[in-house]
Amino acid sequence: MSAGFLLIHARPGRVWSFALSWLLFAAGIGAYLWVSHARHLDNPEDRVTPTLTQMAKGMYGAVMRSAEEDEPTADDAGFRTRLTHSMLWKDTCASGRRFFYALALLIPAVILGLHMGLFPYVGQFFLRFVLFFDKIIALSLLPILFIAFGIDELSKVMLIVIGVTPTIILDTFNLTRGVPGEQVVKAFTLGAGDFDVAYRVVLRQIAPRVLNSIRLNLKAVMLFLFAGEMIASTDGLAYRIALLRRHMGMDVIIPYVLWVALLLFLVDFGMRLLNRTLHPWFEEA
Amino acid sequence: MAMPLIQIESVFVAYGNPPRAVLAGIDLEIEEGSFVCLLGQTGCGKSTLLRLVLGSERPLRGRILIDGREHHQPDSTRGYVPQRYALFPDRTVLDNITFGPEVSEFGLAGRLRPAFYRRRKELRDEAFHYLRRIGLRESDASKYPHQLSGGMQQRVAIAQALINRPRILLMDEAFSALDSGTRREMQSLVRELWKSTGTTLLFVTHNIDEALRLGTRVVVLAREAPELGSRIAMDLAVPDPCAQEDIPSLMDRLERVSCPAEAGGTVTLSV
Repeated sequence: MSAGFLLIHARPGRVWSFALSWLLFAAGIGAYLWVSHARHLDNPEDRVTPTLTQMAKGMYGAVMRSAEEDEPTADDAGFRTRLTHSMLWKDTCASGRRFFYALALLIPAVILGLHMGLFPYVGQFFLRFVLFFDKIIALSLLPILFIAFGIDELSKVMLIVIGVTPTIILDTFNLTRGVPGEQVVKAFTLGAGDFDVAYRVVLRQIAPRVLNSIRLNLKAVMLFLFAGEMIASTDGLAYRIALLRRHMGMDVIIPYVLWVALLLFLVDFGMRLLNRTLHPWFEEA
Repeated sequence: MAMPLIQIESVFVAYGNPPRAVLAGIDLEIEEGSFVCLLGQTGCGKSTLLRLVLGSERPLRGRILIDGREHHQPDSTRGYVPQRYALFPDRTVLDNITFGPEVSEFGLAGRLRPAFYRRRKELRDEAFHYLRRIGLRESDASKYPHQLSGGMQQRVAIAQALINRPRILLMDEAFSALDSGTRREMQSLVRELWKSTGTTLLFVTHNIDEALRLGTRVVVLAREAPELGSRIAMDLAVPDPCAQEDIPSLMDRLERVSCPAEAGGTVTLSV
């Protein structure tokens, strides 16, 4: 260890880097297990900090058995049937469907932002309104949405759309504005028309940045999705977490939280991979 | 006498609030096939004048006729090579060069037609021809602009503009970001391409030496006083080819008109 230890010019070796980056995980898990162990010594019925075996059992139930409100699957059913009828499967599908509907509805938002940035009349028409809408706290609209759209799927998807699209529109708008004017002029001098410029020059150029901006907003999408599900839903991951809270079902809640984190990570990772494959010219800053 | 290709008639431009004159009464006629260098100091409005010809800006007063017609937005009669951002970063060198003919011949849905792919093959062959002409290797064709040096990027930008065979090519400080060695190479390349294509060239620069080496005509823009807009301070026909020994004396003359405020100092120094 040299004099520069812990300072800006320090160069941790591979072993150090690896050990340091996992240390907090190890500490967190260790602390949990210790607390859990201590609480179980005190009270074997403790439900607040389930042990690993309890969580594994809880998760096994979630993966292999159907939800309480559904018909139980027959005990002799095959693994596949039991999995596709399980609580976790059903919740994941329900949440995933809403999530992807919301993502699909972001595409028009991107197109709108692009047009606002390029066509002055479209920009003037929408910009002030979108800026105003962006300042509305989407969650405060929730009661209005429930009244207007009922408490079924539509209102939950609308909550996500209202919460996230203004950000995406404004971000695309700014990215479009950020494309150097030379590029647009150049395209015109090469014989391009207005829509060629919009879709073949500008959209192509901002696409990786737009995708990154959507990636950053995935958490917001999930936040609104969970808020909607926790308040009014009969299935979905957040519904289950909220429901199990009443039973203090920490043995399922904790694995569910980790499962959601894993899913979100996978979606984000997939989008990063997609970005890199589709836009090999893009260097991430 | 034939009508000049570009006619600039008493053009006046002002920016800002309160408006400050940038160009005050510019009259200029450019013949087809000439190579005109617009010379002037930073902020004298030479790029503004270029943008007016390009059509991306409009004059407050006066008008600009190209081939007898006013143009209100950039189009394919005038090619453009800016100092920066000349290439589309999301396209390879080859796709950058073929972009012009591709968009002018096929609309947004054109890609779906088989004719597009046949035509693209032809265009690629043509692009390779241009690629060799500007001195790039075939292996550079699949590179992205950010993988090329500044000089290479400008070479590709010139090929990209020329493949569309514009009647007028506008270059805005196209070589100002390059080192002097590369700049010399680019100058002889442009000169050569100008001779072989017969395009009318309008080249904006702040470098006197560059203007003299390139142009058949050097037009100097300068302000008579800081609060006034720029006017044409000098319109010089350059002998072709410009003799090496003439350059210092011409440079001296141009220097005096392009910065009248400092003219006194320049003269005493040269005496």
